[in-house]
Amino acid sequence: MSRFEAKKPSLCKSEPLTSERVRATLSVLKGIVTSCYGPLGRLKQLHNGLGGSVCTTSQSSALLANLSVTHPILKILTTSMQNHVSCFSDCGLFTAILCCNLIENAQRIGLTPSTVIKLNKHLLRLCISYLKSEACGCRIPVDFSSTQILLCLVRSILTSKPASMLTRKEIDHISTLILRAFLLTIPENTEDHIILGESIIVPLKGQRVIDSTVLPGILIEMSEVQLMKGLPVKKSDSLKVALFCASLSGDLSDTGEGTVVVSYGVSLENAVLDQLLNLGRQLVSDHVDLVMCQKVIHPSLKQFLSMHRVIAIDRVGVALMEPLSKVTGSQPVGSLGSISPSSYGSVKDLCTAKFGFKHFFHLIPNEATVCSLLLCNRNDTAWDELKLTLKEPCVLLGGGCTETHLAAYIRHKTCNEPESILKDEGCNQTELHLITEAFCSALESLAASLEHDGGEILTDMKYGHFWSLQADSPSIVNWPDLLSRCGCGLYNSQEELSWSFLRSTCHPFAPQTFLPHEAAGSANYLTLDCFTAKLNGLQVAVETANLILDLSYVIEDKN
Amino acid sequence: MNEKRHMGLQQLASFAETGRTFLGPVKSSKFIIDEERHESVLISSTVRLLESLDLTSAVGQLLSEAVQAQNNTYRTGTNTLLFLVGAWSSAAEECLHLGVPISLIVSVMSEGLDSCIEEVVSLQVPVYNVFDHMDNTKTFSGFETFSVSLGPFHQIPSDAGLIQKKHNLKDVASQSLTIYSLSGRPVKSPKLFRHQAKVEVDKDTSQTPQTLKNSLLADTCCRKSILIHSRHFNRTDNNQQISKPDGFLEQHGAATPKTYRCNDLVELEMGLSHGDHSSMKLVDNAIRLQYQNANMQQGNRTMPFMFDISRIFTYCLPGLPEAFSCVCPGYITVTSISSTTLIKELQNQPVRVVLIEGDLTENYRHLGFNKSANIKTVLENTKVQQDSSEELWINHVLQVLSKFNVNLVLAQGNVSDYLIEKCIHSKRLVIGSVNGNVMQAFAEASGAVQVAYVTQVNENCVGNGVHVTFWGSIPLDVVDMVDRMAIMLKTEGINLVTVVLTSPVTAHMQAKEDRFWTCAYRLYYALKEQKVFLGGGAVEFLCLSHLQILAEQSLNKRNQVCSGWLRNTSSWLASSLALYRPTVLKCLASGWHRYLSTLIYNTASYSSEFEASTFIQHHLQNAIDSGSPSSYILNECSKLNSGIFNSGISNKLEQIARVYDIVTPKIEAWRRALDLVLLVLQTDSEIITGLGHTQINSQVSEGFLFL
Repeated sequence: MSRFEAKKPSLCKSEPLTSERVRATLSVLKGIVTSCYGPLGRLKQLHNGLGGSVCTTSQSSALLANLSVTHPILKILTTSMQNHVSCFSDCGLFTAILCCNLIENAQRIGLTPSTVIKLNKHLLRLCISYLKSEACGCRIPVDFSSTQILLCLVRSILTSKPASMLTRKEIDHISTLILRAFLLTIPENTEDHIILGESIIVPLKGQRVIDSTVLPGILIEMSEVQLMKGLPVKKSDSLKVALFCASLSGDLSDTGEGTVVVSYGVSLENAVLDQLLNLGRQLVSDHVDLVMCQKVIHPSLKQFLSMHRVIAIDRVGVALMEPLSKVTGSQPVGSLGSISPSSYGSVKDLCTAKFGFKHFFHLIPNEATVCSLLLCNRNDTAWDELKLTLKEPCVLLGGGCTETHLAAYIRHKTCNEPESILKDEGCNQTELHLITEAFCSALESLAASLEHDGGEILTDMKYGHFWSLQADSPSIVNWPDLLSRCGCGLYNSQEELSWSFLRSTCHPFAPQTFLPHEAAGSANYLTLDCFTAKLNGLQVAVETANLILDLSYVIEDKN
Repeated sequence: MNEKRHMGLQQLASFAETGRTFLGPVKSSKFIIDEERHESVLISSTVRLLESLDLTSAVGQLLSEAVQAQNNTYRTGTNTLLFLVGAWSSAAEECLHLGVPISLIVSVMSEGLDSCIEEVVSLQVPVYNVFDHMDNTKTFSGFETFSVSLGPFHQIPSDAGLIQKKHNLKDVASQSLTIYSLSGRPVKSPKLFRHQAKVEVDKDTSQTPQTLKNSLLADTCCRKSILIHSRHFNRTDNNQQISKPDGFLEQHGAATPKTYRCNDLVELEMGLSHGDHSSMKLVDNAIRLQYQNANMQQGNRTMPFMFDISRIFTYCLPGLPEAFSCVCPGYITVTSISSTTLIKELQNQPVRVVLIEGDLTENYRHLGFNKSANIKTVLENTKVQQDSSEELWINHVLQVLSKFNVNLVLAQGNVSDYLIEKCIHSKRLVIGSVNGNVMQAFAEASGAVQVAYVTQVNENCVGNGVHVTFWGSIPLDVVDMVDRMAIMLKTEGINLVTVVLTSPVTAHMQAKEDRFWTCAYRLYYALKEQKVFLGGGAVEFLCLSHLQILAEQSLNKRNQVCSGWLRNTSSWLASSLALYRPTVLKCLASGWHRYLSTLIYNTASYSSEFEASTFIQHHLQNAIDSGSPSSYILNECSKLNSGIFNSGISNKLEQIARVYDIVTPKIEAWRRALDLVLLVLQTDSEIITGLGHTQINSQVSEGFLFL
């Protein structure tokens, strides 16, 4: 007998943002992301409270993936952050903090959401066109003829992951390796557009970080038994390769539901094995030297192949299939039927390598745009932190300088040329002023989130850069001595600058635009951020904040 | 975040406190009692301790992860790791009390440890050509003497009765050693051994191993002396030669400056045994067997000999006195008593062998094979089928075995009992659950190829020349083995050594096996890295004095260029680094101080930790005053009875051999310990990810915040 239950009515709440609970949870979330931000950020231990594995991290991707938020508003926020991170794998915290700041500030000024949204959009457009323009004072073009900028970028990213617990030396080492791995993926002969190869990260836990290395080609882990069997002598100057994505383990392919009835004496297993051995015969007669299979190869087939001096490598795993196919030029074979000769590929050589306790086959391709980055670390947590950190190179000044500079630029712009905005958006001077203030202070307090130990944040009145100062510092006269360099490391405190506290109200000033050309080469250790990731982060933050501010009802289906 | 109190650090410190007694050569065991199941285990190592503890908290899990990682990679250094985690947790907390910003603690501490690691390079001792003196029987017997005279003292210091017992067993012990030489290489005659055993007893009773001591002293310590007439500390590029100005002669007695190096295996083993001579003696025997085997296999080819630890295998026989522990070439295992007659028949001839990679049962399929559940076999014939499918399979297996004339099957996995029984009837021995390395050794030595299924067996896969014998050296009725017996399998030239470990106390068995492996791995790393540290606390003492000096230096010149990863941060922290650096360095140093005083206190030469601590303080002051701590340490090390670095075992016995430590595993343990502490220090909240709801446990409120 079935029972029907009356449907519960949907729950409808108006003006969700005004609710005390939403505000409280938003501020908790903001607290979490803010405290994680930057190289000095605090870490979080993520675990399920039931003895599951513990993840110590300050990375947005790990945090957002594990936070199971309940309120729809927070869900909107975390989902759009996660989308951003999955595309750019950087600037996740930046985006989340900025979004929280914008929402909070907008609520405080109490203007109608539509005005706020309209003006936020306009300010965002101003930001983007400035950052993209030649005049931009916080963007450095990447000079591919020197590795310096690229190294700085990689180093900045690594430094901002405190949970990876790398020492200076280790950061330098890993940065160099990542850069080398990146350069190895650039093909030598390029025509119109470059198709980058791939860097495969091979984790090696428990070893010393300094033992990490980069190798051209692909590493495939192998078992001790395989190692002992050794490699047969190479016959020619390249090896013919067959690559299988189908399982060669000899099990029956999915028989579906229901029962298969077999008469006594018939062995399906033997039938499949016969088919496998036929396949083996074809491989041998086609003079294949190396058979690789994503899944398992039946021991009998392996034995057959090795008797005919064919190397068989199985359990390669799905992650390696695409690079293997790319490197060898072979088509993965998905069936046990006959193989078309066109699906075979080739490699230059195959040898074995040992790192730590693990043994690997090292596949050396004819043309290498694929390389393996062997990354060692002492613990899992740190390894996960590192793995997520491969970037593309376009750079903005980091260390908070871009944010403060941008805030100064926007403030100056809206103060000095408000006419066009007022005309376009149809709002009044006060509204513009309030919203600009909210927008800029959101950017500034984002920069201030880099401070976790109670210091003061200053900005200089010439470049609009970020400077950090010990709390309760003595008189202003000593500042040049106390502040050695700005956040990104580009400017020195000795060059006759004047500073003000970041959050104090000061007269809008025009920060110096057009970065001098020699700037990029001058400082050795710059803190840099990825241009595209940050630009997108900025957009996502403003748009998500607008979306959340625009919500007037939350309707929940309680069934 | 409460600035003055850090829960994570306190948790770490209290976890680490439980492992305090494991530090140093004299370890106190612990009983862990499970109140629910009324079970108890006896443990004496960090790894076993953490295995038995309930570490469900996040910090506890991180700790046990770190210990596991160290253990899996190096198999040693976990006691050091655990202790330093505790000591540095307290140190970090002390810094918080003093108001040092967290980021600065992190920066200065990791910088300080890096600097220590650079500094201790000067205490490295190169190890090379240790195998040149392998045939020197004199050193071997010297080692033997040590193991007997020192062995019982620190194994179980409280149990004096055991020493006596051990002496009484001397004759039996030499018997078991005779068997070893009979079974394999004619290295030493049984007579020689027996004779030595007597000498040992004599020496022990007369309590004057003076002559021997002197000879060894001359042999190990004063191999080469270099006198450099300079008041300044002299260091060559590779930091291998460190010498001491001779201006301190009146102060330090007749100590001559010397070049430290180690090219004697016994000296190295003595130094690395850290008091556990009985285990190290087994390691010594094992490595010698491997060496001889390698020499025999290679003939005159001059490949450098490598100690292959994967081909050493332990086999535990609880219930027997310790003296029965021995080392044998080949593989030792137990089989059921029902195969006695079979083994009698097999033992006079070489047999042919098949190696099976997985289980040897009808239903076994190779890894990655998915069985279809929905296949049903129907009988179309009405002819009554009597044999079950298992019987059919067994018949098939027997057919294959008899076709290739195979009398021995080794399987890595389980073997069907019925098959074993059937095989015994047809004069074939089947042994299951064989270790993978053992399989590999047999594959190499007998020419067999491992297969997954019996159907794969062909002539190429079958190995030859395996000898099966009883392993009869032990009076089996003594042992608690009712219907099982030990057998030995070996092949000419097999690169496999079985170490039989015995212990009268069954509860001690695990600890004994662990200790054997600790010694084996220490030697393995020393030989692999070709360098060791001067041990007995020397490196830690250097770290301590180095940090003290660093702290004083940075007090004097405030405007030091900061290093560490804060160097290119423009945060205000970078500029105020100099202000806090001495404090943090001193706290870090206090961790070393605690380590050393516990070490010395545990060796039982001091009645309280306070006394031990004063003792260290005294030496620390001397070291700092001398201007060069590393040369002070080298000098102290050469004074054998100075009581600081050689107090490792005991002053009373006037032990004379130098103590060594392995390099990379030790440094990695330090790094891991500090990494863990700093990781926890930087953590400000725990996020509990649940199925239904998420909670944030902020450490300020102790309450939960919901999202």
